[in-house]
Amino acid sequence: MAEKSELLPGTLDMLILRVLSRGELHGWGITNRLEQLSQSALQVDEGSLYPALYRMEDKGWIEAEWRVTENNRRAKYYSLTRAGRKQLEKEQELWERMSAIITTVMQTA
Amino acid sequence: MTFFRRLRHLFNRRRSEAEMAEEMRQHLEHRASEFVGDGLPPDEARYAAQRRFGNLASIQEQAREAHGWGWLERFLKDLQFAARQLLRSPGFSLLAIVTLGLGIGANTSMFSLVNGIMLKPLPYADLDRLSAVYRATPQKSDGGLAPADFLALQKARGSYGDFAAYRMGRVSLSDPGQAAQIAFAAQTSANLFSLLGVPMHLGRAFLPGEDTPGRHRVVILSQRIWLNRYGGSPAVIGRKIRVDGEPHEVIGVLPPSFNDWRHLGNFDFFRPFAFTPEFAAERRQADLSVVARRDPSIGPAQAAAFIAEQGARAAREFPEINAEASWRTVSLQQEAVGSSGDMVLPMLVGLSAFVLLIACSNLANLLLARTMARSREFAVRGALGASRLQLLRPLAAEALLLSLAGGTLAIFVAGWFRDWAAIRSTGDNGEQVYFAVDWLVMGWAFLASLVTALAFGLAPALFALRLDLNHTLKSGGRGAPGGRGHQRFRQILIVGQFALAMVLLAGAALFIRGLHDLHHRRSGWESAQAVTGAIVLPAGTYGETEKIAAFHRLALERLAALPGIEAAALASAAPSFHWTDVRKFLVEGLDRPEPGREPAAMVNTISPRYLDVFGLRVIAGRGFLDRDDRNAPRVYLVSQSTARAFFGAADPVGRRLAVARDGAPAWGEIVGVVADFENVDPDPNKVVHRVYQPLAQEPRRQFELAVRVGRGVSPATVVDAVRSAITDLDPDLPIRRLQPLDQSIARTLYQLGVLRDMLGAFGVLGLALASLGIYGVIARTMAQRTGEFAIRLAIGARVSDITRLVLGSGVRLALTGSALGIIGAIGVSRVLASAFPGVRADNLSVLAATATLLVAVALLACWLPARRAGKINAIDALRAE
Repeated sequence: MAEKSELLPGTLDMLILRVLSRGELHGWGITNRLEQLSQSALQVDEGSLYPALYRMEDKGWIEAEWRVTENNRRAKYYSLTRAGRKQLEKEQELWERMSAIITTVMQTA
Repeated sequence: MTFFRRLRHLFNRRRSEAEMAEEMRQHLEHRASEFVGDGLPPDEARYAAQRRFGNLASIQEQAREAHGWGWLERFLKDLQFAARQLLRSPGFSLLAIVTLGLGIGANTSMFSLVNGIMLKPLPYADLDRLSAVYRATPQKSDGGLAPADFLALQKARGSYGDFAAYRMGRVSLSDPGQAAQIAFAAQTSANLFSLLGVPMHLGRAFLPGEDTPGRHRVVILSQRIWLNRYGGSPAVIGRKIRVDGEPHEVIGVLPPSFNDWRHLGNFDFFRPFAFTPEFAAERRQADLSVVARRDPSIGPAQAAAFIAEQGARAAREFPEINAEASWRTVSLQQEAVGSSGDMVLPMLVGLSAFVLLIACSNLANLLLARTMARSREFAVRGALGASRLQLLRPLAAEALLLSLAGGTLAIFVAGWFRDWAAIRSTGDNGEQVYFAVDWLVMGWAFLASLVTALAFGLAPALFALRLDLNHTLKSGGRGAPGGRGHQRFRQILIVGQFALAMVLLAGAALFIRGLHDLHHRRSGWESAQAVTGAIVLPAGTYGETEKIAAFHRLALERLAALPGIEAAALASAAPSFHWTDVRKFLVEGLDRPEPGREPAAMVNTISPRYLDVFGLRVIAGRGFLDRDDRNAPRVYLVSQSTARAFFGAADPVGRRLAVARDGAPAWGEIVGVVADFENVDPDPNKVVHRVYQPLAQEPRRQFELAVRVGRGVSPATVVDAVRSAITDLDPDLPIRRLQPLDQSIARTLYQLGVLRDMLGAFGVLGLALASLGIYGVIARTMAQRTGEFAIRLAIGARVSDITRLVLGSGVRLALTGSALGIIGAIGVSRVLASAFPGVRADNLSVLAATATLLVAVALLACWLPARRAGKINAIDALRAE
């Protein structure tokens, strides 16, 4: 297993939005997917995942619905809304700009 | 959107909670099964999952916050907690709520007065374009117009708009199967209701032209008399009723909203004038109230100028009548508010604010004591890291709950006040003054309650926050350590309370005294043995003067013959109030003034024994005799001061007077002089002269009957005999207000009586609240200083020393407060004196008595808790340390 890193502050929302942009998922699914995609390099703090989900739901970026899963249990599925998609674009753009700037500074200074 | 989502979460809180728990449980399950997959035993896998997840409760808390209702939920929790806290000390809560409720209640009641008198619009359409037109003379600033003047005004109106007129009068109303009653009726121009914009509840309004003779026998009933006398039956339309003995057809019923006591709501019914040629030409009898509606295109200043110009024209054309008169307008709403709006209302609101302030400082004291008792709790919570806001929140919640309860109680108080005022003011035709407790009043109660509870509830809390934590914790929460500041604060509150209570009490006492003087300043006449009542002979049956005179003769004979009655009289007015019949006189031998500027005198038309009935003295010449009738030469009596003004030191008997009118003066001889007297009307009389003339020489259809009972006979016992003596003569004749004169006087002065009772209530309330306040403070002092007193007792102090110490501190506060209050009381008495010129309000002995009473009550309130000094057991108290 690779060394695990804490998330940079402020990036959790963006990652969740990104994961959900591929399709709806329940809470555990989001955690799982994040870990998978980062090849277990990211340790998602589950303690901040749910408050973040609820906050984003409150802001209208995602919506939640209780549905039956493939193994016949009820689960709460989150999906991106139109506002959420816009937010994702915005955050992604910001992130790319930011990381480019940081990279430039780090390489040239 | 967000809002609705949040709202859904709030109302489905239980479900959201369950869903959140379920979601997290599933998460833990997944994680645990993952760990099991990694090879952990199930139990450990579960624990590991939980460790990984973190503190479930705190995460749920954070998640709840995210839904945005955290503050509201916390607030509801605070309220629940506060409610429990308040219920745990019911004594405190009850005291606080009652204090707040009474204080706000007094204030809300006064606000309902302001609301009912000033704020509520009259029930007319486009009120801002309606105004009253007055004819102002040196004798009367708000006199009416004569019929000819009114008709001239209507003719000249041009683009002004329109004018309507009405005249009040008492008439007898009878229908088959119902007892006749004297009704308060108005005759109006046909356009009155259309001009006011009042729709009919039933039937129709007057038609144009119905104020011409022959078509005028129609009436419109007020809602009140329709309900009371005709049972609210729609069948009343088209029915014939007898007004002054003549049949009239009921054509309409006014809506309930028209029963507004401030303007025309006191009338029982309305009927049109009959503009006969003589009536339309009448220029002297200026008794029509005129209402003007100006066209939207005419501004108020323009309108006023037009009216003034019309008045000036009347003065130019008929100087012998209008030389001293000018016309002016006042907006109708302003007229309805009347003079009480200028001074009395602000004064009442101000005084009720004093009551409220006393209540508030009591509340502050109570809450401060409560907060101090919990200072240790606050210190501990502060030490454990609670923020100031967290410390304040439960206190604010308590204040909020108290204010809600207090505001509710205040609305009840305002409701009781409304009922009381309505009962006190109910007249004999059922008309009454009504101050609705509407949304505005309720809003006021809650707003005032909220503001006071928060302001006075949080002030002590802020004190609590200033506490030095260390100090409080170290001192073991005993007493009020380091509380010099708040001790001072409480003392200032007490001093302030007593100052305000002094103002209230002294104001009330001065007014009560002044009113008492007014009631009893009847110098020169007596009322204790008199019974009076008003009679209106219907014009239909008593058309000819002969018939009226015959009725007068018979009535006097019958009344005088009744057992227990010393003397009986009929007259246009009793001496109790100022007389409304004002005429201008020519005095023989004096230079005739310019026409229209002759001296005015109040005239009373009396039967011979009138002076005996009221104990008025004849000081020169003779009174009227039976022989001074219509066939005898015209005779007059004048009052002493009138005689002096007209004739100086010369003997007035034998000189001659005549009523100023067109043509040759009809002279009459002055046969006697009547002693001056003062009536009980608080209004200063602008007409100073009094002239009496014999009833037999000018028989009237409207008159007062008056009898005097013998010594030792209670006036109330002859009322029935008097009534049947009159109904024997004419069974259909109603007598209005037949009762002992003292009773009528009290009834007529009821507004002053209401004012007196309100001021009295304020005074008593203020005194009670202030006593409660000082009692609480002294009781607290006793409790806090028990240890100190125990030591004093142990080293040889006597119980009386301790009592004196405690009493001394309380009485000092009360005295300081009262001394400050006297200054305010003098201010209030000034206001009273200028608002009620007849009421003298500068009575020093009353002020001194009030101050003594206040200090005595304070002494008692201090002494009750101070007594406990004798019960201190030094050993126990010291051991308890």
